[in-house]
Parts: sequence; C-alpha cells; structure tokens
Amino acid sequence: MRTDKVLLVFKKDWLEVRRNWQILAPILLVPLIFCVLLPSMILLIPDSSSSSSEVGALIRILPDAVRGEMAGFNDNQIIAYLMLTFIFMPFFLLIPAMASSVIASDSFAGEKERKTIEGLLATPLTDAELMVGKMLVAFIPSMLVTLISFVIYSAIVDVLGLPLFGRFVLPTLNWVLVIFLLAPAVAIAGIAITVIVSSRVKGFREAQQLSVLIIVPIMGLVVGQAFGILLLVPEVIIILFVIFVIIDAIILRIGLGMFEREEILSRIR
Amino acid sequence: MSGIEAEGLVKRFGPLTAVDGLSFTVGSGEIFGLLGPNGSGKTTTVRLLSCLIAPSGGTARVAGFDVQSEPLKVREAVGVLTENPGIYDRLSAFENMEFFAEAYGLKDKAERGARIRELFEFFDLWDRRDDKAGTFSKGMRQKLAIAKAIVHRPGVLFLDEPSSGLDPKAAKDIRDLMEDMSRREKRTIILCTHNLEEAERLCSRVMIIRKGQPLATGTVEDLRRKMHGAPALEVTVEATNDALLGKAGKLNGVKSVNLSGEGALIFDLDDPEAGTPDVVAGLVKAGARVKAVNIMRPTLEDTYLELMKEGQA
Repeated sequence: MRTDKVLLVFKKDWLEVRRNWQILAPILLVPLIFCVLLPSMILLIPDSSSSSSEVGALIRILPDAVRGEMAGFNDNQIIAYLMLTFIFMPFFLLIPAMASSVIASDSFAGEKERKTIEGLLATPLTDAELMVGKMLVAFIPSMLVTLISFVIYSAIVDVLGLPLFGRFVLPTLNWVLVIFLLAPAVAIAGIAITVIVSSRVKGFREAQQLSVLIIVPIMGLVVGQAFGILLLVPEVIIILFVIFVIIDAIILRIGLGMFEREEILSRIR
Repeated sequence: MSGIEAEGLVKRFGPLTAVDGLSFTVGSGEIFGLLGPNGSGKTTTVRLLSCLIAPSGGTARVAGFDVQSEPLKVREAVGVLTENPGIYDRLSAFENMEFFAEAYGLKDKAERGARIRELFEFFDLWDRRDDKAGTFSKGMRQKLAIAKAIVHRPGVLFLDEPSSGLDPKAAKDIRDLMEDMSRREKRTIILCTHNLEEAERLCSRVMIIRKGQPLATGTVEDLRRKMHGAPALEVTVEATNDALLGKAGKLNGVKSVNLSGEGALIFDLDDPEAGTPDVVAGLVKAGARVKAVNIMRPTLEDTYLELMKEGQA
C-alpha cells in the first residue's frame, strides 16, 4: 500500500466533503448540541427535582474514586457533576460515530450515485489504497470534530460551572481516555462497517440508513452509564478499548477481503 | 507487440453470458471499432480489458500485461473514457485533472501542471480551469473526461462514445486527436460507438458484436465486400438508349450493366477502381456524354444493419 496514493484519495474526498453541506451540516450540528446546549442547560437552568434519597442511591453505586471527587458537594452539585462528567461522556462517542458514518456513507455509495465510481475504479489505485483513503477521510474530520467538541464542552463546563463547583472539573482522566482511546477505536469500527456497507449498496441514503445501526451499541453505553450498569471508569474504558481494537482488526480484515471492484460496479443504479 | 490480444474471452453474470468467447488482436497504433447494439457486450468487453471486472473464461493481454495476473499494470497502461464522464462536480476542472494525473502516476507536480495545461489548451478549457466541473456544459464535461483519460499518455485507450455531446468542431478535434495518437504516437485505441460514420472514418478494423458474440471482424472494406460484394460503378450520362446500353455491356471488365431509376448506368465490375477509366473511355467512344462517375460503396451502416438482420435470422 502506497501512502501517497492513500493521501491522494483522502485529499480528493476531503475537497468534496468540505464543499458538501449535506454532509457538513449534520457533522457540525450534532456536536454543537452536545458540547454547547447540554452543559448550558444543566448549568444555567437550576434543577432541584431529584430528592436526597435518589441522589444517595445513585452515589452508593459509584466507585470510591468518583465519590471522592464529589466530597463536600450538596445534592445539586452532585447531580450537575454526575451529569456533566459521567452521564454525558458516552455522548462524545456518538459524535465520531455519527460524523464518520455520514462521511463514510458517502464514500463509495456517493460515488456510485454521482456516477464517478467507474472512473475511480479504473485508476491504478489498489483496493487497499482506495479503502484506507476513504476511511481516513471519515476518520480524521470526525476525530477533529470530536476533539474540538470536547475542548468547547470542557471550556463551557469549567467556565459556567466555576460558580457552582468552585473549581475546574474537566478534563478528568476518564474523559481523556474516552476521547483519545475509546472514541478513535469506536470511530474506526463504525467507519469500516459503513465503508463496507457503502460499497455494497446503490446509494448514499441506503448506506446511511444501514450505518445508523452502529449507533445502537453506543446508545447502550449511554443507557448503561445513566443507570450505573456500566460506568465508564478507567478500567472499563481500557477493556472496551481493547475489545474495539480487536473488533476493528476483524472488520478491517473482512472489509478488505470483501472489497471487489466488480461487486461495487454491479451495484450502480 | 500487440496492443491487445484476447482469446476466448467470456464473462458471465449469473445465468447471463454478457461476453461469449471473443477473440481478437489489436495492433499497436491501431484504432479498432467495437460496434453493436445496446446490451451487445461492448461495455463489458471494455471493463474486462481495463481490469474493472475479471473474466469468467478466456485470456487477454493488454499492453503486454495479463488482465488476470497483472491487473494493476494493465490499469496503469490504459486510459478509459467511460460511458459516464466520471467527473467530480464539486472539484474544479484543474483539481479533477490533478487527481487523475497523480492517480495514474504523474508524480512530478511541474510535469503534471504542464501536461494539464497542454490538454486544457487543446480542449479550450484553460480559461475555465478553476471553475467547478459541476458548472460545465455536457460538451465541456466530455472534453474534461477525455482529457483525464489521456493525461498519462496511455499506450492503450478505451473510448466509449467519445464525441457524444460535442459540437461539430469539438467532435472533429477529438477525431483528429485520435488519428494523431494512433498514427504519430502509435497508441492503440478501442472505440465503442454507435456513430458508424465516425467508426468508418477512423477505424482501421471493426468488430461487430451481438449478444456478446462476434458477428464479423475486419476492415470496413472487408465487411462491405463480405456483405455486399464489390462496389458498383455508377455513370450518369446525358442520354441513354438501348444501343448505348448494349455497347456498355460489352466493354472490357464489365460483368453486367443496368439502368437505374434515375437514368444512370450501373456497372458490375470485377475491380471498379481499376476498371473505371476504361469504362468511361468506352462510353465516350460510343458517343455518350458523361456527366458524373461514382463508385457506389455501401456505407458501414448498410453493412452493420445487414449483419444485424442476419444475426437475428
């Protein structure tokens, strides 16, 4: 596999993506909701709907280290802290998954729809160069969006939360591990699946509809975190990271094995 | 060395046999026409030879490389103009060309730039190089698609309907370019077209295929003779009469002579080109005043339609 050819595919696709508002709008809008609206709502709208007993029950299932972080907090502070530093954390796995699925859906399916795929497949670019180039163009922007969203989110939480908590609360080790380890691993799995789907369906919409399924396991993490079933603490994050790396390797291998120019061409409308 | 050597090429898609045992060779510098109705297997043949799909049977070598074992080398050596121009609408014309030039191995930026400029100036696209390809007319898109197919100076070129959507001047420029690439640069060109006049003008040989099978292969002249025999000689004279017709029938080399509906004499000769001067001289000697002489060759279209009719029978 020649790196310059991979980067060539990346560069060409990136030029197309950044001029396509159909793709850019959702990958910018969703992070904006997560990183600006959610923390602002928690910190600017006072909420005292939860009773002390409910908060107490929630605290009891948390690991000692987390309880230690909240030492001295009242119920309102605890609820805000848990929401901002725990419950919302898996949402930041949704950002790369959604952003990458939108871009990756467009990879081969978009080329089929726009009838540019035959010319691309006729070039002397290898299957691996085409596939990795198309995956990179989904991975790099979606990770950039995730990272920028995390920086904005942390800044909003720290600035707006300073009067409430009396200190900066983000970033924590959990967040750093989620953003820099788990998010890329989840994104790669999502992208690889979406690129495979995209190469085997006829259009962008079909690819996107199927790739939305990738969000289902991540929603499981959101629910697990919210109900304290599977808390994203460092040990869990590292285990999940290892699992996703294995999944990534398997999917990438399958994807490259399934990549056939003929199969892609046979599904042109 | 042959540009293309195909032997018993077969392509099946499930129960459908799209290409059914095609064998042909195309020499270096030859323009070879692949003719046939829609769905006859022309596009599939081009896809097989440009390594977009793999054959179900048979072998082929393109530019000296085997399509099954050396697909990457084949793709490097060929240029393909597909049915759809395959232009990226959101990229400028220059960005489109940059991508394809680099993908086809033009690594040096200055060399790429010079080649793109050369092609854009030839196709009158230089002034529009920074415009998005999506804003181009059909003809301009076709020119851009041809430019991208030849940007790397391929040894073998597959052109599917190259003059489609072009104005007469641009279509002539493309024909001149093809002839130049064939004669001067010795590039092998496979031309898929429904424009039989264009094929007749450009192709040294043609293959007419139907349902993936070859109906006939050869020079346009060979096919004409095969289907219609030798061309007839038409001589228009000021006035005809039975005496003249009788004398004409006895002229040297004349097998038979008839009177056409328009009053012209139609001669059947063994060799019309060689026999024409003697016939004209004989008619003048017999007192006829010759107004026009024409060797009547059936067009490639006549031959094509005849072959199609035979194929259906």
